[in-house]
Amino acid sequence: MPKVTLGGKELEIDEDGFIQEPEKWDKAVAEDIAKTEEAYPMSEDHWKVINYLRNYFLEFEIAPPIRMVTKQTGFDLKTIYKLFPGGPAKGACKIAGLPKPTGCV
Amino acid sequence: MKKKITLRDIGKIEGQMVDIDKADLSRLPAPLDDPADEPGIKQLTGEQKDRFDASLDGISAIGLVKPQNKQEEEDFVRKFIAGLKKLLSKENNWTFLQPLMLSLENCAKCQNCSEACPVFTESGRQEIYRPTYRTEVLRRIIRKYLKKEGKLLSKFTGSDIDLNFKTIARLAELSYRCTLCRRCAQSCPIGVDNGLITHELRKLFSQEMDIAPKELHQLGTVQHLKVGSSTGTSPKALASFIDFIEGEIEEITGKTIRIPVDKEGADILLLHNAGEFISWPENIEAFAIIFDAAGVDWTLSSSLVAYDAVNYGVWYDDVQLARIAARHAQAARDLKVNRMMVGECGHAHKAMLVVSDRVLTGDLNIPRESAIPLLEDIVLNDKIRLDRSKNNFPVTLHDPCNLVRLSGIVEPQRRILRKICPDFREMEPHGVDNYCCGGGSGFAIMDSNNFSDWRSSVSGRMKLKQILTTFGDVMNPEIHKYVCAPCSNCKGMIRDLLSRYRLTEKHGIYYGGLVDLIANAMVDVKGQFINWETS
Ligand code: SF4
Ligand code: SF4
Repeated sequence: MPKVTLGGKELEIDEDGFIQEPEKWDKAVAEDIAKTEEAYPMSEDHWKVINYLRNYFLEFEIAPPIRMVTKQTGFDLKTIYKLFPGGPAKGACKIAGLPKPTGCV
Repeated sequence: MKKKITLRDIGKIEGQMVDIDKADLSRLPAPLDDPADEPGIKQLTGEQKDRFDASLDGISAIGLVKPQNKQEEEDFVRKFIAGLKKLLSKENNWTFLQPLMLSLENCAKCQNCSEACPVFTESGRQEIYRPTYRTEVLRRIIRKYLKKEGKLLSKFTGSDIDLNFKTIARLAELSYRCTLCRRCAQSCPIGVDNGLITHELRKLFSQEMDIAPKELHQLGTVQHLKVGSSTGTSPKALASFIDFIEGEIEEITGKTIRIPVDKEGADILLLHNAGEFISWPENIEAFAIIFDAAGVDWTLSSSLVAYDAVNYGVWYDDVQLARIAARHAQAARDLKVNRMMVGECGHAHKAMLVVSDRVLTGDLNIPRESAIPLLEDIVLNDKIRLDRSKNNFPVTLHDPCNLVRLSGIVEPQRRILRKICPDFREMEPHGVDNYCCGGGSGFAIMDSNNFSDWRSSVSGRMKLKQILTTFGDVMNPEIHKYVCAPCSNCKGMIRDLLSRYRLTEKHGIYYGGLVDLIANAMVDVKGQFINWETS
């Protein structure tokens, strides 16, 4: 796994740029990933999505279904794509420090 | 330009054997008939090239790490030969030895199989992708290196393949350039199943050499057995998804419908591909709405492993297959249901309905069925009120290989669609002659390195052509068009095809499951069940 410096720390990432040690995530890490995902500078709206994803992940150890994200944040899919051009999984989840989705998703 | 490739080249050519040039790929019909629109396949990065062996075609599906020295190379070859011996012995391959031997013994070299294979034809007839290429290499290896092992093997002829690291590494990648669709087997006059041979090769690599795509193994079956689902869904997360789904059902129908979980003594234990909860919750919702309206006595299980119908073992590893199959059946036994039923997941049909016959015996031999005939009964015998005019848009049907060609469930889904969709149109060819979506055998979820480009450009190309042709007269983006794909894997693959070629955005082509269309036609569902915004 390649190592990169994000938020001043050395972190392992997979080939798609997902960090491999979710416990090392913090806001500075998020902002550095956001720079590579055309989601920088991060506004309050960005953080609303990221915080929701992050909290869901901390509780359930998985990313929530996309429709749960749109319902809970009040942003429709189009808005999410505007905030995160990489999309909810490859963009937003990556910035929130979640692992890459697996299985038939 | 393509090089002329022979069988012996697999062990001889230095560097990369062939290059998949987008100019060689088959031409797409309108509106994608401009070759300049073809995205092509991205090259591996320098770092990837240094680490992984991609000497077959410049693609790395399995991330095979290059050996560091001669010793490692030799060990690799030795392990392969030992594994091959096991594959050809009764004690070690009681599951598939007989069909394997039948397919290895003879080949009339008529090449009907090659014409039937979409990977071969759509790649621009790359010799290495010919169904018989892989098989013939294996036959010759067996003949040359194992023939003294016994009578069983004495029938094979031809003996000119070098057995070295290159040959085996390429064979390993090559076992992931076939979707196991078995269209070739159907076209073979003597019943040779090149798909089965691919499967057996994958098995050898996984069981004897620990070589398997991480999406299928570590993140697939291993995670499934450990966490409960290949998606990483824990029982706690499952409860959260179900809660959300019940809320959505209430919004759509205005009715409170509880999703039964762990209901002892229910008639049916329904097994969904857990990917549906995450990516297509509407599928779970539609099943619940239809079953509720039709008075079906059913339940889900919240037991680890059993809330995910998938069994990726069926694609590459019999041991993992058996472990998962047993857990599914144990959950059914514990809940004392009459029967297990698979939702819209093709490979789960293969694993649970067909292959598990060899694994589930005694009190685990519980009736295992497909949900599609039950849906047919509900729709055709008017057990729910339907208004077909609600599905007033063009619909075509994709036939998942494992549901249709393999399991023989061909007509029920068509009778449903003919009844509930006024503009239902078949793709050509269809039914048992269908083409794979391109995502079969795990490809739909394999995204390592540059493999997702390969599957979208090559193995999915024929399906893309079929979709474009079927909707050729209604390409206006204002007209919503629906590709019905009753399989989670196929849905994922078709989603990727539609987005790669921007067909939803530019031409209004959508995709979804079968139950979605049934729910959409229900009189009791006010308005539309299908939400084009979120599809
Ligand atoms: S169709 Fe059958 S007999 Fe003919 S070349 Fe293919 S495998 Fe051999
Ligand atoms: S199983 Fe399908 S993809 Fe594989 S060789 Fe046969 S036709 Fe081609």
